[in-house]
Amino acid sequence: MSALKLVFNMLIFPGGLFAIMLGMLLMGVDRKLYARIQRRVGPPLYQPFIDLVKLLQKEILVPQTANYTVFRAAPLIGFIGMLAAAVMIPISGVYPGLDSSANLLVLLYLLATPALALMIGASASGSPYSAIGYSREMSITIAYEAPLLVVLMTVAMKVGMANGGFADFSLGHIISYQQQNGSMIFDITMLPALLAFLCCIPATIGTVPFDIPEAETELAEGPLLEYSGSGLAMYNLTGGLKMVIISALAVALFFPGTLGSFWLINLLWFVFKCLLVITLTITVVRATRARMRMDQALKFYLTVPVALALVSLVLTLLGVRI
Amino acid sequence: MYVLSVLGLVILVVFELLALKSQKLMRLLVFSSIAEVGYIILGLGTGTFSGQTGALLHLSYQFLMRGLVFAAAAAIIVRGGSQSIEKLRGMGRTSPFLTTMFAFGIFSVMGLSPFKGSISKFLIVYSNIEKGYYVFAVLAIIGSVIEAWYFINVIQSICFKAAESEKGAAAEAQIKNAGQKKMKPAAEPAAKASKGSMPVNILIVLLGLLTALASLFPESIVKLAEDLAAGMFGISNPTPLPVFDTPWPILVLVPYIGAFAVFIIGHFIPKLTGILAVGIAAATVCLAWFDGSIDGLSRLFTLIISFVVLMASLYSIGYFKGETNNKRYFFFLLLTLGSLIGVAVSTQFGNFYVFWELMTWASYLMIVHEPTEKALKAGFKYFMMCATGAYFMQFGILMLHNELGTFDMNAVSSAAGSLPPAVLLAVVLAFVIGTGVKAGLVPMHSWLPEAHPAAPSPVSSLLSGILTKIGIYGLIRVLFAVFGVGVLAQLGSAGKLSGIGLLISVLGIATLLYGEIMALLQKDIKRLLAYSTMAQIGEITTTLGLGTYLSLVAGLYHVVNHAAMKGMLFLAVGILIHTLKTQEIVKLKGIGKVMPVTCGCMSIGILALMGLPPFGGFISKFLMLYAAVSAGYWYFGAFILLGSIIGAIYYIRLIRTIFFEKYEGPAVKEAPLVMLIPVMILTAVVVLNGLFPQYALNLVKAAADYVAAQGGMAVTTIPQIVVSWPVIVAIPMLGGLFVYFLGKRSKKTAGWISVAVMTASLAAIAVSSGRLDIFALSFALLIAFVALLNLLYSLGYMSHGHAQNRYYMFFIMMVGGLIGVATSKDMFAFFIFWEIMSSWTLYFSIIHEETQDALKEGFKYFIFNYIGASFAFLGMVMITANAGTFDIAAIAAKLGSLPVSVAASGIILLTVGFLMKAAVLPFRIDFQMHPATAPTPVSGYISSVLLKSAPYWLIRLLFIMGGAAMLGKLGMSGNTPVLMYVVSWIAGLTIIGAGAMALVQRGIKRLLIYSTVSQIGYIVLGLSLGTTLGMSGGLLHFINHMFFKDLLFLCAGAIMVQAHVTRLDEVGGLGRKMPFTLSFFMVGALSLAGIPPFSGFTSKWLIYEACMQQGQVFLALLSLAGSVLTMGYFLKFMHSAFFGTLPKKLENVKEAPWTMLVPMGILSAISLVLGVVPGLPLTVISKVLDMMNIPRPEFTLFGINTPLGAWQTGVVVILMLMAGVIGIGLFLLGNRKVRRTNAYTCGVSDITNDDIHVSAGNLYESPDEIIEKVHDTVVVPVFGNGEEVQK
Repeated sequence: MSALKLVFNMLIFPGGLFAIMLGMLLMGVDRKLYARIQRRVGPPLYQPFIDLVKLLQKEILVPQTANYTVFRAAPLIGFIGMLAAAVMIPISGVYPGLDSSANLLVLLYLLATPALALMIGASASGSPYSAIGYSREMSITIAYEAPLLVVLMTVAMKVGMANGGFADFSLGHIISYQQQNGSMIFDITMLPALLAFLCCIPATIGTVPFDIPEAETELAEGPLLEYSGSGLAMYNLTGGLKMVIISALAVALFFPGTLGSFWLINLLWFVFKCLLVITLTITVVRATRARMRMDQALKFYLTVPVALALVSLVLTLLGVRI
Repeated sequence: MYVLSVLGLVILVVFELLALKSQKLMRLLVFSSIAEVGYIILGLGTGTFSGQTGALLHLSYQFLMRGLVFAAAAAIIVRGGSQSIEKLRGMGRTSPFLTTMFAFGIFSVMGLSPFKGSISKFLIVYSNIEKGYYVFAVLAIIGSVIEAWYFINVIQSICFKAAESEKGAAAEAQIKNAGQKKMKPAAEPAAKASKGSMPVNILIVLLGLLTALASLFPESIVKLAEDLAAGMFGISNPTPLPVFDTPWPILVLVPYIGAFAVFIIGHFIPKLTGILAVGIAAATVCLAWFDGSIDGLSRLFTLIISFVVLMASLYSIGYFKGETNNKRYFFFLLLTLGSLIGVAVSTQFGNFYVFWELMTWASYLMIVHEPTEKALKAGFKYFMMCATGAYFMQFGILMLHNELGTFDMNAVSSAAGSLPPAVLLAVVLAFVIGTGVKAGLVPMHSWLPEAHPAAPSPVSSLLSGILTKIGIYGLIRVLFAVFGVGVLAQLGSAGKLSGIGLLISVLGIATLLYGEIMALLQKDIKRLLAYSTMAQIGEITTTLGLGTYLSLVAGLYHVVNHAAMKGMLFLAVGILIHTLKTQEIVKLKGIGKVMPVTCGCMSIGILALMGLPPFGGFISKFLMLYAAVSAGYWYFGAFILLGSIIGAIYYIRLIRTIFFEKYEGPAVKEAPLVMLIPVMILTAVVVLNGLFPQYALNLVKAAADYVAAQGGMAVTTIPQIVVSWPVIVAIPMLGGLFVYFLGKRSKKTAGWISVAVMTASLAAIAVSSGRLDIFALSFALLIAFVALLNLLYSLGYMSHGHAQNRYYMFFIMMVGGLIGVATSKDMFAFFIFWEIMSSWTLYFSIIHEETQDALKEGFKYFIFNYIGASFAFLGMVMITANAGTFDIAAIAAKLGSLPVSVAASGIILLTVGFLMKAAVLPFRIDFQMHPATAPTPVSGYISSVLLKSAPYWLIRLLFIMGGAAMLGKLGMSGNTPVLMYVVSWIAGLTIIGAGAMALVQRGIKRLLIYSTVSQIGYIVLGLSLGTTLGMSGGLLHFINHMFFKDLLFLCAGAIMVQAHVTRLDEVGGLGRKMPFTLSFFMVGALSLAGIPPFSGFTSKWLIYEACMQQGQVFLALLSLAGSVLTMGYFLKFMHSAFFGTLPKKLENVKEAPWTMLVPMGILSAISLVLGVVPGLPLTVISKVLDMMNIPRPEFTLFGINTPLGAWQTGVVVILMLMAGVIGIGLFLLGNRKVRRTNAYTCGVSDITNDDIHVSAGNLYESPDEIIEKVHDTVVVPVFGNGEEVQK
């Protein structure tokens, strides 16, 4: 039974089909809204789906300089990681999460797989643009991981200390803590952490002003430059999934509150919250900001979000409750 | 009467001084003779029977001997045609007979001759002491010193020095006919000339004979003088005079008479000289062995002396081959032997002193055997210093007799307690000075570094091996056997030491530091060894000053070892000097390659001197430390260690120069057998003393027991230092030798034999599983298993290398040491193996390529390890000495009851040593970790397996033996000892520091090395938390890292050997050429980065959780951030090496051979399994946790459950497989047509593949900048090396 349930979770909901669809939706909304902010009409919401189908039909170009196998296989790494992660995150009021393995640390590592896939693929392509892109991707990963880690530790500590330990990485416990004590978003001590987390989202997804690795004006999409056809489709899909994961994580960590007990309402509420996160952190930001230089990005992440996150961490460490 | 004495004294001093100023021979002799009258008056002035007898005796002796001197001098003056001493130089060459008789006369006047000396002057000094005229006695002795000064000068000028004119001529002649013997032309006219004046010659011979007779049978003359004195001065009932001379024992007579026999027979049959001398020395050894009449202390020293002399005499046959004058050499050699034995076996202070003087005299003549300017100067200094020292001793002896009325040591011993403190102090100091000069203690050492290099090598060997030791003997005999600790304590004490003991120890420490530091600066190899001798003597005296039974055993054992080691080294160095005609170290470059036997022995001696096992020096160093710690003076031990660290620097440099530089000298052959045999025998002694210390220790114990019984010293049990070599260690150790000798033939053989040896070791460990605990057993199995893989890999990797048998030997031996480290059940054995593993085997493995870089890095790493081991050494001794046992289980049981200060310091020192081994806080990686220049299978092995010895022993020490609980007594923070937090933080900072440094590296191996340090940081962090999670995580990472890091190194090695590169900048695109290597690398890299579900993830995840569980959020953050860096540097490696474009020069690179791929494949497979099935290793780990009384973690085969969350590899793998199926499905769904294109270059078409490759140096610019900036501002100013950031 549980095996069957696992397969269902994996293939249909909340992973698999649902996650992919949600990812497409997030991308579509993002593009539409982005266009609207720029006073354009913009593509229809289902444009990402059309793009996917189109890309799957294209032939695959592989550079002579590429390492064929690795180049072809690399997109899978991130896809697998994201799809596995999608099953883990609980949707409060709808899905309890894959409790036995829904561990914040595991998720943290899985969250890095799209970047890993991008970097391995870029590196394997043999293109100098991609190589520079990969190098930048790594640099920015180093930058945003620092505040991200502090935020995750802070949340884990908050929950753990309330449960009589020091930290708790179980996502299930994090949700149930908030169900009992109110969402983190209402805890003033956790607000800096939330802000820091939100700061990290554009860099994780790789959008302006932190799209430095792809930087189409300089690097012509960097890591993605040589990808086409199903490979590129896979990366796009992964990007969408990543939006789902990161926004779902934000929801789970900071505001997993439900509206009643009916699952469909809660699901819609969840989707809405995800949309809210994405539009706030991605769409609005990328529509209004210009791309930073790498050193600026590094400096930004290692100062502002780190400081914000540390404030919450120290407050939590001291047991301050406001 | 007093007036008379003063008059005598004035005459004495004034005329001695006048004689000193004289430049003319006759005038000098006359003044000197008048001074003797002063002595006579001084003697008469006391008005005592002894004084009067002494005066008369002196008169008669001087009359006779001076007669000889005057007659010879007159003849010399006539022959030389001048009065001036300066102009008489070189007469020894032209008139050997006259000058010999002249010298004989003068030495006799001074109371020195191969026969018994005259005792008249002693009597005069004695009588003054008797009367309480101490000042007179001292002045009389000073007079004797002045006399010795000018007489030796005269003898050197006339008898030994070359004439001014002759020097030039000789030099010319040498240039003209280099092949001819240079002595001949000079000797012939001399022979002619000496025939001229027959009557004078007859007179001189007669006087000489009389002198000899008077010296041989002094008793009748003494009797005569006594009667005369009694008659003349009307003393009816005279008190008996001190009897200076008692009959000589047979042990002394054999070499003495032998000396004359050799001299005479050698005169007629020169060829027999050496052989005869060897025979006599051998006979002496036998006599010494079977002589039951002498006590233990004497027996020990007699054996050492005669044995070393036997070796030196054998060697001398080869050394002096073809020289005409060797009968004189062997004569004095045997005289030295006789007098040394005389000193060692004397039970009377009179004899002791007489032999002491004779020994100085005879050895002086050996030092100046080749009378070069340098040798004469050194000899003069030696003689003057030792004679002066001896005069001090004489004064002390006479004072003793005056107080106690006897020279008999036993009698003195029993009465010593009643001596007034002032007298006792004076006597003791007199002895300390007398023996200290001989031993070369600072500040009485200055003869030593000059005499050693100036003397012929066999003589240096004796000087260092036994003459300095006789000083030690004197010290032990007088202070501890005759007086004893009880008496010494009367002179005041400092702490637990007697005042005198403290003095000696302080002198010892000064000597050892001075010696080591000076040796460091030397360019002359013999001077270096001479200073090193001082250092070793310093160690011995430092220990002896403690005045305990243990210190005695330790000091004596080091005497034995040092005699063998240094004796051998001087002989071996002598061979090199003899062959290359130079003493400069730089000119000995690479000589080890052409003279392997000599230099091989030498290197063993050097390793032994450094105190490395399994050689003798280690055991004695251990005993000395043990004695120091047992006595409560651990910092004496620290000084000894400090000294040997300095020593290690110049010794390893010496080994490097001799073996690993390029040889540029002339074509030379190995030395003749007659010189090699003694060197080899002494080497064997050095090795046997290390492997089977009990035999020599038995002799030493007998000596110490005797001293303890005599001197009232409490006998304590000495540590049971039986070095046991378990089969599992012996197999690789002997196997190494086996590989070396059998593998000389072909490269393949060496490799396959070593694979076989390692398989045998692995099997042996598996078979002996019952005798090991689970922790030791599993580590040992891993050690042998990975070694087996790396050896197999070496078959391919080394297939074009040189000296493969050597490589395999040291590698296997290193593994052997490591197995010992893992499986030892007692601390002593553990430390032996620790040193074997981390010192010479490692050094020789690392510098195998013999490039300048490799040598430099290997040197630094060796010293760093040596220092680290020294910390651990002291810590180990502190614990074992206080626990009184080596058995680890027993120590564990006792540890809690030991005094906190001692036990905790010991644990801290050991921990520091272990952490240094783990290369934590990598600010100077070039010192701390195995250098990148080592052959890759070795680098990989060190990184992945050998360094694990540090965390392994940290766990044993802190958690299985209970060290953490002991540290807790120093302060707790929560439920964790504060010091464990310190360790945690060190580990945490290491993770991030080394990770950051890895990120900026471009050297293929340097990157991996930093990575290793960072990863070991994780292990140490985990274990330092001491919780279920931390320990499980640490141990799991311990295992995981072993496999994936070795795998990564082997992949790196494959690249390096196939593409001939060492830096990541130089490669690119190899993935297409080496697909298997790439695949294996990916497995290793993903495991390293800990991408779930690869193996590194589980272990790191446990460690993060453990940190958080303990409230160490910042440590958790550090280690998490370290993982991000890990991903960064492995991607950098992957990109630079395997991806991107292939440089043109690497077009022809091929995949590695199967011998390399198979081990890599096995390691990958294991890494994969460990990642998916963490339950397998955790089963073993939980058994290890049981040993530490730490609760087991909750785990299944495919998952772990912790209070902070769960990790189900099984579920995640299933999820990922399903996701993979979906992904592949999408791929299959799409268009599958593939077209190869050119990479996009923005329309530029005239650039080559090489141009578009983004190499390692171009990656991660922004983070690199930050890291480099931090490094430059924080690390470089403190540690002073910017080299690590390779820009």
